[in-house]
Amino acid sequence: MSAAEQINNPLLDKQLVNAFIDGVQKTLSTMAMTESSPKKAFVEKDFEAKGDVSGMIGMVSGNMKGTITISFGKEAIFKILENMLGEEYSDIDDEVRDAVGELTNMIYGTAKTTLNELGYNFEMAIPTVITGAHQITNYHKGATLVIPFEMGDLGFHIEITVE
Amino acid sequence: MFAPDTKFLVVDDFATMRKIIKKVLAELGYTNVEEADDGQTALPKIKEAQKQGVPFGFIVSDWNMPGMTGIDLLRAVRADENLKATPFMLVTAESEQKNVVEAVQAGVNDYVVKPFNAATMKAKFEAIYNRLNNAA
Repeated sequence: MSAAEQINNPLLDKQLVNAFIDGVQKTLSTMAMTESSPKKAFVEKDFEAKGDVSGMIGMVSGNMKGTITISFGKEAIFKILENMLGEEYSDIDDEVRDAVGELTNMIYGTAKTTLNELGYNFEMAIPTVITGAHQITNYHKGATLVIPFEMGDLGFHIEITVE
Repeated sequence: MFAPDTKFLVVDDFATMRKIIKKVLAELGYTNVEEADDGQTALPKIKEAQKQGVPFGFIVSDWNMPGMTGIDLLRAVRADENLKATPFMLVTAESEQKNVVEAVQAGVNDYVVKPFNAATMKAKFEAIYNRLNNAA
């Protein structure tokens, strides 16, 4: 990608990206006493599934329309939920899906508050939770900003697409 | 603090959040807790409990829910002569100034912003109790 393309790409809006990074870290540390750190973000030409279970929220602010997806591998989400609820999980069942939805909700809400105070105009939205790589891949298309996160030896991703 | 047998209603469309709030309440010694998954299911429960003579002594509700939102539930409770004095706490990811103002105007007793930890929620319960008792 050329420098000019990078500057014009809304996916590289630092305020937006940082608000979601902060939202992830704050939500996981407060609710689940789980520290996570972002690694170098990259842009993918086409959306690709990154995990076993994902929470997604459609974002609309003025002319900008996009999606934020938080994708967890099984082991990562089981670890987070063990820390958050004090219970062990071994399957991606309804309880796990519900928790991914609530985590997505909190991450989006935290980022939305920060961004709206900076002049964006994001609205409240209800998250959707999906499982299975095929479904996730087919959910939306287009260039995607991928931010990998590390938590110990496990990890997860946030993926932002903007139409 | 509120009496140990105080009857709580926890309203949230996510079972996970209801579980987290119930856990905090249990740590505080409150086990008389019922649940509803949005305002639409909560309101008849609240009215029925009042009618049966076993009213809810405290409502804890999410804001952003399908069906009926927490702020609309709050307004409905405050508009009902028999229910309007029920302590009501919103637990929500909506923490912009305009949201806080709207909730205060609707008559919320306090407001917990998600994400939160147990200590924050406990402090809010105590603050509500102290305010209600000082006002009495």
